[in-house]
Amino acid sequence: MWGTVTWDKMSDRFEALEQQLEHFIENTRQLGITVSDFQPQGQNVLNQKLHTMVTGMQEIDKLKNQVQDVQVPLEVFDYIDQGKNPQLYTKDCMEKALMRNEAVKGKIDAYKKFKGLLMLELYKVFPNEMNKYRAMRDERPS
Amino acid sequence: MDLYRRSDQTSPKSSPRGSRSPAIPRQDSTGTLKTTIALGKNPAIIQKGPFYLMKEPPDEAKLTGNTNLLSYHGLEHSYNKFCGKKIKEELNAFLPNLPGNIDAPGIQDNSSLRSLIEKPPITGKELIPLSGSALAGFRLHPGPLPEQYRLMHQMPPKKHKHKKKRKEETKEGPLQENQDNASEASVEQKTKHKKQKRSDEEREKRKKKKEKKKKKQKHSPEHPGPSTEGSSKIT
Repeated sequence: MWGTVTWDKMSDRFEALEQQLEHFIENTRQLGITVSDFQPQGQNVLNQKLHTMVTGMQEIDKLKNQVQDVQVPLEVFDYIDQGKNPQLYTKDCMEKALMRNEAVKGKIDAYKKFKGLLMLELYKVFPNEMNKYRAMRDERPS
Repeated sequence: MDLYRRSDQTSPKSSPRGSRSPAIPRQDSTGTLKTTIALGKNPAIIQKGPFYLMKEPPDEAKLTGNTNLLSYHGLEHSYNKFCGKKIKEELNAFLPNLPGNIDAPGIQDNSSLRSLIEKPPITGKELIPLSGSALAGFRLHPGPLPEQYRLMHQMPPKKHKHKKKRKEETKEGPLQENQDNASEASVEQKTKHKKQKRSDEEREKRKKKKEKKKKKQKHSPEHPGPSTEGSSKIT
């Protein structure tokens, strides 16, 4: 329940910011169209759009407090700067995590096998000492 | 193998690692010798450590690489979502509603996020709406922009569905601007959109040709290879 409530709150604040940014970008796009082939009768429209741009910036500035605690990994910025989908970063992270997990598991399994083989060979060569060692290990509380 | 060594041979001074600098922090090796001093009725010193350098093994960690950490942290669904399906590489696929060509590297037009972090802009100043005198500076001369600035409005090639939506939008958009006394600008916008559509159509044709080439290469590896663009000669 607690996890669902916080997730909804997070998505709400992101949605508000997203909407505000979309409106701002759309206004800027329309401003660009107006300016690209300007006509005298478009001056009022231009002034209005400039005013909308300033108010849009004010609204976005107000929303910044809601996302102050959000942490973004810097490596995502490299993906975006290269024109790549940032979801690829998440995908790469997941794949790396799985690879490293498997690598560490492989090392653990290898060490376990090595331990078993070493104990076996040591038993063959030093049976008495190994029995003492085994007794000492068994005495230790787990 | 001499397992029972004299006590002076087990002191830290004669340790095999004694040549190491003491400045390097090392794991505390005191207490290597396992001896138990039993007090009480029958006090005794019991040698429990016949093995040199035998130490207590560390406690077993609860979470190791032996566990599937993705399932442990409940990330299986996320993994299947991101790694099971093919994700499009372009940034445009993640942000389809943004205008302009966003797939280009940010360094080209100085819009990279890295530069924003390395050289942050001046912030903290109050945002005040433009006054009448300030707006006077935005009085523009009529006429089209120079060629070098027109490319900023080019949209990236989209699918047919988006094209139909854009047709509807362009119809609605100019109508609204006509209400704002900008009828000439709307007509010119239509011509611009038509030009954009033509260039988009050309790009799509080229894409289709490339896809056909790839299919041909896949299905018939003995094919002589790409010679002409999509055209096959019949002899």
